[in-house]
Amino acid sequence: MTWLAATLIGLFLLQSRTVAEPTEGFRQLLDAVVRIDVREYAYEAGSKRFQSGVGSGVIVSDDGLILTNAHVVGLRAVEINVTLSNLERVGAELVGWDHWTDLALLRLDAEEVARKGFEFTVAEFGDTKDLYPGETVYAVGTPHGLTRTVTRGIISNPRRFFADSRGVKGYETGQFNTWLQTDAAINPGNSGGPLVTSAGRIVGINSRGYTGADNLGFAIPSDTAQRVMHGLAADGRITRSYIGIVPGALRDLEDFYDLELNTGMLINSVDPGSPAAQAGLRGGDILLAIDGEPVDGRFPEQLPPIKHRIAIQPVGSELSLTVKRNGETKDYVVETEELVSRVGEESVVEVWGLSIREVSRTYARENQFPDEEGVLVIGVQRGFPARVAGLSTGDVITKINDQPVSTIEDVMAAAEAYAANPEKVLVEARRQFRVSLYVLKP
Amino acid sequence: MRFSILSRFLLFAGICANGLEADSSDFATLLEERLSTVVAVEFAIEHELDRTVNYTHALVIDNNGTAIIEASAISDRATPDQLVEFKVYRPGQPTTQFSSAEYLGQDGYTTWHFIRIEPAGRIGLRPITDFLAEDASALPRIAEPIWGIGLRQKDEDFAPYFLRSHLSMIQRLPQLTGIALNEVASRACPVFNDRGEFIGVGASGFGQRMMIYSQRRRGEMSVLINPDEAAGFRLAGEVLSALGRVPDNPFGRPLPWFGIDGIDPVDPDVAQFLGLGSGAGLVISEILKGSPAEDAGLLPRDIIIALDGMPLPRLKPDEVVSAHLMREVLKREPGVTLSLTILRDRTELEIPIELGNAPKTPKESSRRYFEDLGVTVRETVFSDVVARREDPSDLNGVIVHFVKPSSPVGTAGVRMDDWIKEIDGTAVGDYDQALSLLEAAEASGRPELVMLVSRGGETAVMRAKLSPGS
Repeated sequence: MTWLAATLIGLFLLQSRTVAEPTEGFRQLLDAVVRIDVREYAYEAGSKRFQSGVGSGVIVSDDGLILTNAHVVGLRAVEINVTLSNLERVGAELVGWDHWTDLALLRLDAEEVARKGFEFTVAEFGDTKDLYPGETVYAVGTPHGLTRTVTRGIISNPRRFFADSRGVKGYETGQFNTWLQTDAAINPGNSGGPLVTSAGRIVGINSRGYTGADNLGFAIPSDTAQRVMHGLAADGRITRSYIGIVPGALRDLEDFYDLELNTGMLINSVDPGSPAAQAGLRGGDILLAIDGEPVDGRFPEQLPPIKHRIAIQPVGSELSLTVKRNGETKDYVVETEELVSRVGEESVVEVWGLSIREVSRTYARENQFPDEEGVLVIGVQRGFPARVAGLSTGDVITKINDQPVSTIEDVMAAAEAYAANPEKVLVEARRQFRVSLYVLKP
Repeated sequence: MRFSILSRFLLFAGICANGLEADSSDFATLLEERLSTVVAVEFAIEHELDRTVNYTHALVIDNNGTAIIEASAISDRATPDQLVEFKVYRPGQPTTQFSSAEYLGQDGYTTWHFIRIEPAGRIGLRPITDFLAEDASALPRIAEPIWGIGLRQKDEDFAPYFLRSHLSMIQRLPQLTGIALNEVASRACPVFNDRGEFIGVGASGFGQRMMIYSQRRRGEMSVLINPDEAAGFRLAGEVLSALGRVPDNPFGRPLPWFGIDGIDPVDPDVAQFLGLGSGAGLVISEILKGSPAEDAGLLPRDIIIALDGMPLPRLKPDEVVSAHLMREVLKREPGVTLSLTILRDRTELEIPIELGNAPKTPKESSRRYFEDLGVTVRETVFSDVVARREDPSDLNGVIVHFVKPSSPVGTAGVRMDDWIKEIDGTAVGDYDQALSLLEAAEASGRPELVMLVSRGGETAVMRAKLSPGS
């Protein structure tokens, strides 16, 4: 009997060693994690409709700033409701968002918090640099609406390259930062919640998982999150520089290009008309240094930091790129321009049942358009004039009643004139590169 | 008494039926005679790694063994060099007996492919022109009874069979096309009236819209196409226009060209808005660089409303108007001047264009398969560069025509239709240079081949690992 008791105690002791001690920091962290309910506009169907979503977030400042994902709360958000850990609900507003890092910053309604006498806890950041593969981490959030769920795993890889040209609601993401990969269960609704150490320090903001795979989750590292948070708090947005090079990992090509080990980054492609193209760079060039500082882009996970180095330069600044081509090395001076998304400003013309988006410089280049003229059709509503006339998603409207259009305002002005005096309207649009005419009828 | 009235009525009905339709024994004779105008054709398309065997039918058009095959029976991607081993079978004969035939080429205007049957195989064949009506240009009448020839598959000796229908409507698509109440002939097999006069040839692609109901799916609209038999047929005139157009080269040169890309028909609402009344109009999307249309001063967004002073016909559906214009161009010879009436900023202008000779087509481009690398490259031609939105006056690089799966080039990530711009760090000026660079890479014994490849306007460096000894 004594023997049995001793064994039981032994087992218990053994087990207790593997369970995280709920530290003070961890308890504090749990109180800083919130559930976020969002109501936002959906424009795609040629009409303005509401849709709702649920995500997670973490309170990171005494004045009620909350970090979450850009794909949880975006520019279309109309109503944001935050559920605190004590289950009280408070309104919040969007401070800023940055799809490139999939981060958004919210602020709790201070007046409401004060009036109702709510209290909340602020989480603290840990250091991403110290993370090692195999380290135990916890994901906290609202998977599938299950508020305050904690899952446990390890850091599977602290520096994963994971870019996606349409990852955040059609916007680009992941080009300027690497990601933390974890096997802690990340499900829909975990988005925006923190990934923390056993001491309760935030090391990442959970963002994505591979669907159809087991335990392949990804989080934005907290060093990136903090930087973006400060930028969003100050300006509401992050401005980045762009030169138009598409990098590729050099990997086994060092011999071919006759490079020293761990030197250089391959330029796979140069966007037509971009600053790099104007400076004379081309696909197949090897970038050796930026402003004299060497570049090492042998592996994919080394590429985001290099792109980040370019992105943080002030817009309009001159960069000296040392480039190797056919055995010769030469410096090229490139003047940066502002980075813009492929997704332009959006709106809906309800009277025509037409959802539109401005053609951004990036979208125009991506689709080999001759210029940025026109507005893109992103949705048409059944039975409404645009759809009846034959317009469809993907068309680029270039003229309305013989007047060139390139902004949302141009289209709105024409739509207002139509609403005031409904008469037939002639629309010229391009589908791919084919020009067609349409008549919108009252 | 009542019985006799009824029997008289029945007798009368019988006489009527006899008066309307030929006797069934007559049909057997007519069919037997007219079988001599049609043959079954087998041919192979040779690819890099294998060959595919194809079957179709051909209609004999003269006493020199010339026969025509419809355009869609031969893949557009296949070059004349790849088309081999044409065999001609007679309907209902053992398939151990066949004649060979030579591929002559495709005519741009009529789109027919032409073959010539070897002299030994011509015995007993008769041209379809032996069965023309006195007035061959007269159109068949709506509701007229018609019949045609069907051929079974090879395993049934291409056995002939009889098909029967009535003419339902005639459409200009833009070829004059008859549509029967039901399938009336196999593809490329002839259709006749009850007097045995040739009135058309079975065409493919006449789809019928049907609703499919099943236990799992409710009323889903589908288009059903019978691949063996056709209810739509090109009228005799469309075959007769092929008679004088037997190509003397496989590509059907000379090919006239004006260099307008994307001509989109305006719908009736737009036509009315633009004041075209009930006339048709075609919006020009692009004027190709260095083309006759550019020389003539045509501009994108001009609207073509007439050709040589004749307003464009109102053909339905609207897209047929575009096809009509292209056919009108292809009917002419390079060097001929045609006149387009266009609407520019709502003002009518008359613009003469001298048709040029079409630039080399992808089919005509030289190509070579590199077995050790696992890739076929071909010469870059005008339309390749136009399709890739670059300046067609610079035909640099080579186009990837085929990639062998799991080969060095396949593993590197190169795909069909990629545009190779550089090979091993050297810019590819033209096809010959690409060949020597690839030959050098194959022979070099180096561990890798590095290519700069353009796809969808973006380039990428791709590295093919070469196996030792290759």
